[in-house]
Amino acid sequence: MYSYIARRLVFGALTVIGVSIMVFVIMRVLPGDPLVAIFGPEGFTKLTDAQREGYLRELGLSDPLWLQYLHWVQDIVRGEFGHSFFRSESVADMLLRRGPLTAEIALLSVVLSWIVGIPVAIISALKPNTAADNTARFLSILFLAVPGFWIGMLIVLALLFWFGYRAPMTGASLFTDPWSNLQLVIGPAVVLGLGQAAYIARMGRSSLLEVIREDYVRTARAKGLNGRLVIAWHALPNALLPVITLSGVLMGLVLAGSIPVERAFATPGLGFAMFIAVNERDIFVMQNLVFLYAAVFVLLNIVIDLTIAFLDPRIRLR
Amino acid sequence: MTATTESQAQAVLIPTARRRGFWSSVRTLVRRAPLSAFWGVIAALIVAMAITAPAIAPYPPLKSDFRAMTKPPTEKHWMGTDQIGRDTLSRVIYGSRTSLTVALGAVLFGTTVGALWGLACGYFGGRFDMASQRLIEFLQSFPDLILAMAIAMALGGGMTTVIIAIAITRIPFGGRVIRSVVLSLKEMQYVEAARGIGAGHVRMMLRHILPQCVAPYLILATTHLGVAIVIEASLGFLGVGIPPPTPTWGNMLADSLNAGLVPPWWLVLFPGAAITITVLAFNLLGDGIRDLLDPRLRGSV
Repeated sequence: MYSYIARRLVFGALTVIGVSIMVFVIMRVLPGDPLVAIFGPEGFTKLTDAQREGYLRELGLSDPLWLQYLHWVQDIVRGEFGHSFFRSESVADMLLRRGPLTAEIALLSVVLSWIVGIPVAIISALKPNTAADNTARFLSILFLAVPGFWIGMLIVLALLFWFGYRAPMTGASLFTDPWSNLQLVIGPAVVLGLGQAAYIARMGRSSLLEVIREDYVRTARAKGLNGRLVIAWHALPNALLPVITLSGVLMGLVLAGSIPVERAFATPGLGFAMFIAVNERDIFVMQNLVFLYAAVFVLLNIVIDLTIAFLDPRIRLR
Repeated sequence: MTATTESQAQAVLIPTARRRGFWSSVRTLVRRAPLSAFWGVIAALIVAMAITAPAIAPYPPLKSDFRAMTKPPTEKHWMGTDQIGRDTLSRVIYGSRTSLTVALGAVLFGTTVGALWGLACGYFGGRFDMASQRLIEFLQSFPDLILAMAIAMALGGGMTTVIIAIAITRIPFGGRVIRSVVLSLKEMQYVEAARGIGAGHVRMMLRHILPQCVAPYLILATTHLGVAIVIEASLGFLGVGIPPPTPTWGNMLADSLNAGLVPPWWLVLFPGAAITITVLAFNLLGDGIRDLLDPRLRGSV
């Protein structure tokens, strides 16, 4: 078990380093000239040579690439994450101000996806090919296809149209103003949660169908255990293992999906900041946020893997 | 995720008993999976709509009618007009062109590159494989949309850029699946026999291993079409897709938010519905094709 944890952590650290190199290559090397990325091809041609020199030196972009990379890593390690090109706010401040909102959305959406997805999976698997099962399957296929941000736009529109309601536009902390905070968070969380619930219901159904056919479940039934208890105590724990792993994979969907969904709801979270950064061509903010999102994704999957290892004796006792 | 793809790959290895013609396959699909066949027809209609867009669109997609700006659906404009008087129906029809071109281009490009890479990894193994697997792992550490956003932003807007950005996010899937197929194929007797006769690397890969990878490749490609369409729409919605005058569904949704404090409902409803129906059609068609090519995968994610 300890060697497994150690191995997983080392691989995770290597992956984060690899990811940082990849982000650097995409954001700094691919565009050719970083000034082209910042000003756009048109704006770039309007700059004089002196201006270009000045900007490059000011931004530390005239150093060799490996030195630039090292400076960036230094920035990350110090927890500063560089500065926005257009605002005085540093990325670290942005994280502290906007991060909690997005984290809340992500967490709430995962909880919602389990609350919705698991019961649907159980109903589907216990009565396969009935009307309930078919409805559940159709809904999950539908929700796999609908873009979350579009549902978000429709919800915003419907609330405005029928109830004249609009969520607050400014950020609100969970601790000082929980009511406004909830109004901000609930919409994106529901949309992202339903998107995940569709995957979870689908995977949970097939995983439960497989487990139900196992010998030990038949044994439990044969010894006269109540049918519901068999499912709850014997079948479900094993059937849920792959669903937990799936939940980790789906975190990618949540992290990425929160960007357009926050845009649709105009939620002042980190996803919205990313949307702004992309449209302002702010490569410094973008570079740091892309790295952070990927690092968080890697980290979450390590946590999931370790949880699985802890829950699954086949791995735990090795 | 890995576990399922690997078991998929295993299952696909069962050699097909006889080769079926295209029309016979279609007939089997209709009989065995009428729902998939129905959505297959819808998908075909959407493709036809994209091809014949200039003929069936009632107005040119970029033509402004300044006497009818931001008008709700009427007999003249079935889906209303946007804030500079462009016909929404025509723009939705033309949007299917961009959407399908990008999705097809990205999936073909991404899956093919991934598949060839996976073929090489599985066949040669060793250090090349090790290094490749690490690289693929790095690629998979990015959530799809975020990687596509970063690449599209770095390369600047445009159709080719968006195709490349989405294609790169598809590479790991092709690489992983085809690699595991090849790994198990390598152990098969007929491959060993070919090696025994003295077939060279190129002949082994192209003549003996590649044909067996066609079924998983097709399954992969069709299942990823829907994802590619959603990513393209999201990129457009976030303003890193194909630049504005071109009508795309994502751009139209983004534009609707700029139409004032309250976006007009027809500008939100119709492009989004177009995305949903298209993705639904391709997903269900993909499910049908998967069941047809490989009945053992029926019902898996």
